[in-house]
Amino acid sequence: MTNRVGVVFVGLAKQFFRSPGSVFWTILFPVMLILIFGAIFSGTGASSFNLYVQDQDGTPFSEAYIEGLNATGVLNIRLVPADEDAAAYIERNSITNMLIIPEGFGNAAMTRQPVTVELRQDNTAGSAMAVMTAVNAVTQQVNLNITGGSNVITVKSGSIVSDDFSYIDFFLPGTIGLMVMMISIQSIVGYQTRYRNNGIFRKLATTPMNNAEWLVGMMAWMLVMVAISIAAIMITGIAVYEVKMTFDAVSLSTIVLSTMMFTAIGMIIAQFVKDEEVAGTAAGVITFPMMFLAGSFFPLETMPGYLQTIAQALPLTYVNNGLRDAMVYGNAAGAMGNLLIIAAMTAVIVIVTVAISGWKKE
Amino acid sequence: MTDHVITVRGLVKKYGDFTAVDGIDLDVRRGEVFSILGPNGAGKTTTVEILECIRKATAGEVTVLGYDLGSKSRDIKRGIGVLPQQFNAFELLTVKENIAFFGGMFDRHLDVDELIKLVDLEDKRDEYFKNLSGGLKQRVGIATAMVNDPEIVFLDEPTTGLDPKARREVWDVVRGLRDKGKTVILTTHYMEEAEVLSDRLAIMNSGKFIAMGTPREVIEQHGERKSAVVRGGGEKAWEALKSLGGDLQRNNGDVTVHLNDKGTLATIVNLLEEGEVPYDELVLKRSSLEDVFLKLTGRTIEGGEVSD
Repeated sequence: MTNRVGVVFVGLAKQFFRSPGSVFWTILFPVMLILIFGAIFSGTGASSFNLYVQDQDGTPFSEAYIEGLNATGVLNIRLVPADEDAAAYIERNSITNMLIIPEGFGNAAMTRQPVTVELRQDNTAGSAMAVMTAVNAVTQQVNLNITGGSNVITVKSGSIVSDDFSYIDFFLPGTIGLMVMMISIQSIVGYQTRYRNNGIFRKLATTPMNNAEWLVGMMAWMLVMVAISIAAIMITGIAVYEVKMTFDAVSLSTIVLSTMMFTAIGMIIAQFVKDEEVAGTAAGVITFPMMFLAGSFFPLETMPGYLQTIAQALPLTYVNNGLRDAMVYGNAAGAMGNLLIIAAMTAVIVIVTVAISGWKKE
Repeated sequence: MTDHVITVRGLVKKYGDFTAVDGIDLDVRRGEVFSILGPNGAGKTTTVEILECIRKATAGEVTVLGYDLGSKSRDIKRGIGVLPQQFNAFELLTVKENIAFFGGMFDRHLDVDELIKLVDLEDKRDEYFKNLSGGLKQRVGIATAMVNDPEIVFLDEPTTGLDPKARREVWDVVRGLRDKGKTVILTTHYMEEAEVLSDRLAIMNSGKFIAMGTPREVIEQHGERKSAVVRGGGEKAWEALKSLGGDLQRNNGDVTVHLNDKGTLATIVNLLEEGEVPYDELVLKRSSLEDVFLKLTGRTIEGGEVSD
């Protein structure tokens, strides 16, 4: 039993390393993805940025301060009514930069009492640094003008999404989820249809090996492929972007379970589509929309409501969310919740797969 | 039943309304090369795939190596080796790795290098399977069929699609198997192959065995008398020989006359002379398996209808 499983594992592994295509898709593709997306979204380039300003003070002094921000030329000032709830307004309008000037701001400045303006930002947005720099510069200038140097006004920065996370922190777990899905579904569909069509399964059926041994050997190898891919992703993230990621038991369980889940989905595809090329396309039809709709590249929150509803039904959504919670956000409860959803989905899909492949062809 | 490695009684295999194997009986003796000969769709492959435990019979009793087919398939699989139709192995594994892979499916297996020597692939040992020619791939397949030192080797159309040279090389390997005392079950739709390699053979058509025995027995039992073939005689030969009566066949410019008595050959020569018929050669033939097949099934082994 173990011998046959080992033979299958080694046989598949050898072929993997001899196939440039497999190596590319498993290792180089995610690395390229990270480098390209990282370069696009952490870059600067845009010349002016929207800054929403809520002026709760409404004094000539606060207006002068806002005028100063406007004069930088870097910021397009959008005024938010003073009676709006800032948090709700941000969420409703998908705002990435908002400055809140508190009531009593003008008074405090005139009397040289310390006062704080609050800059809330989505740090995953590329504009965050530039906006903060501009606001700080203007504030220093005002300080200089009214006091000759001492910091009466300070800028307190607050994050809209969460503290200190950049786009790449968000993107890396998404890439891992994406690769777990791609490797599992594409490999299983490829193996099952290719070896069925070229007669290797018929030959294997005449040996004492049974289906379970084949599946266990194949699963073991796919987990290693997933591990190789994740290693490539994490090494790139750490080396190039200095990402801080934790890899704990929950992350590991999420990855192993989702590999099983996507493998089972691949088995269903392979069961219905006999032709190897058509099966590959069918796998693409399932994986590609899921890749974009499940929040691998962009936060689900930025998508229209109906797409968010669709995302709720996609297995990859929970893999992405779970991996982000576990690896980056340190949200243990969220990671556990997602893991349980994945476990439930895996159970259902595996049962369906077993039921379907139980149908005898004869 | 003394030393029969396969016994089959009343084997039936149906796919819905279609009956692929229609009640066959068979005893295969230890150490013989037994061929099942028939056109495409005759039921040969279905029959051997049932014996190989990869298809289930609809009805009938089958034992292989003394094991009951239904309940002891894992025991049977340990003792048989199979070259499936259109054999393929893992493309990016070498010859040696592929043989070792299939060997690894068994608890014990023969030395891989010995097998490579047996099928004469020593200089291709480290070549990827995908880079081999058709004949060499078949030899890898035969090596994988030998890897567990089986008592019975099934070769399902081992030479289909091979050029004549590669075909003869495969024949040599099959002869080698017999010399080692293996029982070989061979399916083929090449008459010559069956005639040359088999100790005994069965002719299969529409799911039934319609003749069985040694090649000589089958020919003697079912063969017709001798015939004369006017090769390349064409339409003119046909016209000239029509007066001989109904016992005439025409096939691709050849005209075949079945000889009733000794006088006819001389008559044929005379008729051809008188009609000034040009032809390539005049051949006197005894019945071949091909003729037997034609007679029994009314069609050529390639499945074409006989024109007359």
